[in-house]
Amino acid sequence: MVDLRVLAAACLLPVFPLSALFNQLVEQVRHPAARALAVLGLPEAGAALLEGLPRHTLVRGVVHSPAVVALVLFTSLLYALRALSVREVTLWARLVATSGLSLDWLLVGTGAPARSVELFALAWSVPAALLMVWAGLFSARLGGAYLGLRGGLAARLPRLSWLVALSALALVATPLFPSFFGLLHVVDVLPLSQLWAVLGVLFLWAWATGRFLGHLLFGTPGAGPVADLPVVPASLGVVVLAGLVVLGVLWSGRWTGI
Amino acid sequence: MLRDVGTAVPFVPAASAALVVLVARHRRRLAATIGVAGVVLALVGSLVALGGFLAQPTTVVVHLGSSWGSLWLDPLSLVLWAFVSGISVIVHRYSVRAMAEEAGYGRFFALLNAMTATILFLVAAADLITLLAAWFLVGVFLYFLLGHDLERPAAGRYALWTKVIYRLGDLPLWLAAIVLFRAYHSISLPVLFARMGADPHATTLGGLSAPALTGILVALAGFARSAQILLHSWLPYTMDGPTPVSALMHAGIVNAAGFLFNRFAPVFEIDGLGLHLALVVGLLSALIGSSLMLIQNDVKRSLGYSTMGQMGFMVMECGLGALPLAVFHLIAHGFFKASSFLSAGDAIGEARAHDGVPPDLVYSAIVARRPTRFPRLPLWIAGSLILVVPVVVFSLAHAAVARHLLFEQGVIVLLFFAWVTGGQALLRAHRLSRANPWKVMGGILVSFVLVVVGYTLVTHVFGSFLEPGAASTRLYRAASLGFVPTGALVAVLALLFAAGWALAVLVGTERLWSWLLARWHAAAMAGYALLTRELYLNDLAGRVADAMVRLSRWLNLVTWWS
Repeated sequence: MVDLRVLAAACLLPVFPLSALFNQLVEQVRHPAARALAVLGLPEAGAALLEGLPRHTLVRGVVHSPAVVALVLFTSLLYALRALSVREVTLWARLVATSGLSLDWLLVGTGAPARSVELFALAWSVPAALLMVWAGLFSARLGGAYLGLRGGLAARLPRLSWLVALSALALVATPLFPSFFGLLHVVDVLPLSQLWAVLGVLFLWAWATGRFLGHLLFGTPGAGPVADLPVVPASLGVVVLAGLVVLGVLWSGRWTGI
Repeated sequence: MLRDVGTAVPFVPAASAALVVLVARHRRRLAATIGVAGVVLALVGSLVALGGFLAQPTTVVVHLGSSWGSLWLDPLSLVLWAFVSGISVIVHRYSVRAMAEEAGYGRFFALLNAMTATILFLVAAADLITLLAAWFLVGVFLYFLLGHDLERPAAGRYALWTKVIYRLGDLPLWLAAIVLFRAYHSISLPVLFARMGADPHATTLGGLSAPALTGILVALAGFARSAQILLHSWLPYTMDGPTPVSALMHAGIVNAAGFLFNRFAPVFEIDGLGLHLALVVGLLSALIGSSLMLIQNDVKRSLGYSTMGQMGFMVMECGLGALPLAVFHLIAHGFFKASSFLSAGDAIGEARAHDGVPPDLVYSAIVARRPTRFPRLPLWIAGSLILVVPVVVFSLAHAAVARHLLFEQGVIVLLFFAWVTGGQALLRAHRLSRANPWKVMGGILVSFVLVVVGYTLVTHVFGSFLEPGAASTRLYRAASLGFVPTGALVAVLALLFAAGWALAVLVGTERLWSWLLARWHAAAMAGYALLTRELYLNDLAGRVADAMVRLSRWLNLVTWWS
């Protein structure tokens, strides 16, 4: 019998099909800052729930079973594939974050320390939360964060656009962001025969990011003046992203298991 | 000194990139000054480090972090540092004026410097994580450099295309890194190679030994970066990027396979499966790339396919076990292609100023291929010279400098290609005949001998520097296919080239040419259509990509976007 706490954790640290609940929960939060907090908080709550479970449940029980590993990999592939056609910043961030966060279960299954599981979740949820905030700023200026109707935002809103671009890169395991080292850790714990799935996810992320950045950065700028993000908040965003890089490098030793 | 200077070299352009972003993003002159200064300092540092190594040849591994982040200051990385920073200085200097009227001037220099730093880290990486991180970042920076002109959606489209193919090439390298780490329990490349030498038969997936599987995966990673057949379609279309980026890419970045084969040479010494794969793929890429180059009506795309053909030849050299020769090739090709791209503007200006076909005999003979009215050497004499002289000259030159390698199969195949190339040059000389054909042929023969002897000496000195001791013999042995396959390969290629030459000679014979056209017209047109559509590979890739995006949309619809 599956422990109910495992099911609750699968909602918060999303695994298909309960990942739909995580996505609905985030979607229902309207304010961008609150949405960012939800993306940060829900996976951590899921990790905390798992921490309270008996160790044998995690390592030798349901979490480590081949079916669950397959389901986790399927979740990650499914959400990465779904991100391919998305042009709305919040939705894109939520789908890619779901794809990355689901891989945390592979660490849980190996009996990794609770701190590692929490840090791994943060590697995806922090850039996703940043994207939620940037999407809110887009909406305040343009009435929405859908990139399909507006090209060339890098020319109209350069600071905001480059922050979105950097946050998107941080979300898809670009070196030297923490998600890169987190992914190395996941790759290290999987058998060679299952690695293709993670590599497939990595490929889909790169493709989805390329399409996303293409819609964001390229094209003829639209008409009408729009105020870009002021220097101070933009600098703050850069500092957070630079901090992520520093943390990624500092944690890399732990995450690469060396 | 080597340690101190070597440690600083890749950090200098990285620091200048950061400096441009922080203080000179909107100050054009300062951005260019910082950018150029960064790579000039890197070049000076690289040359000092190389000089230090030549004075005291000791390989050094510098550890920057406790677990990863290490630099391997060996002949390969020091030679490539000097090459990469040299090309980067040329590209930077060119960009100062070429990009002067473009938007995002500061961003461009920051990205160029970041790219240079990343390549310097890549070629000197002494551990798997540094190698993977730098390998990844090259693709990321290239995306932004190719898409520098943000107002052109086409630039973004082709940058995306390159990014996707690059990522395809990243995946085998990830897998290779994991295979090596699991088999030999270290991320340090020198340690891994030492352990591999002690236990070369550690098994991995599917009963393949770790060196065999790693070799195949490393080869696959290199194929994507060096635009080998099936993974080549991005290269001719990246011309939408700024010209300096095309120069940097064709001169440096696209040579990644040559570097990767050399870095993982100890793997290939143990198992040659990856080398055999490289031989086949490189040969096909060289033939198809060169064929596609010949039928392009766009000069820059033609240069793109020329690079594909050259990269194919470089990968083929690796497949034959001549890894240092591939490094020599990539350096020579890099400087040639950089100058080709950077002089493209002058060539266009010249063409605009003097349009029309120049009334020049050399041009007519080479490009228009009109038969000249001057006498030629008798066909049997020309034929004998074309067939005999190259093989004699190449064999003697090679025997003089590396007799012990002369009978290795890889060397024999390389000599065969040298013979074909030499024969082609002499055939051209024959078709160029002037009033005194003996004088022309004599001059060409003397030049040919001088060039071959010089080239052979330089490549062997270079090879001894990169692969000292018995390593080159081991690589040639590992690359050996056996007598029958090598003989068959050489025979098929010889027939192919001989048929090409015969066609080139007989093309002036009106009746025979008409007969050939009448008989093979349909097949020739089908082949031509196939090549003009670039083997339909781009169409196929486009269809698959569209299908994937449609599937993605459908999945989002049926899952209610949650």
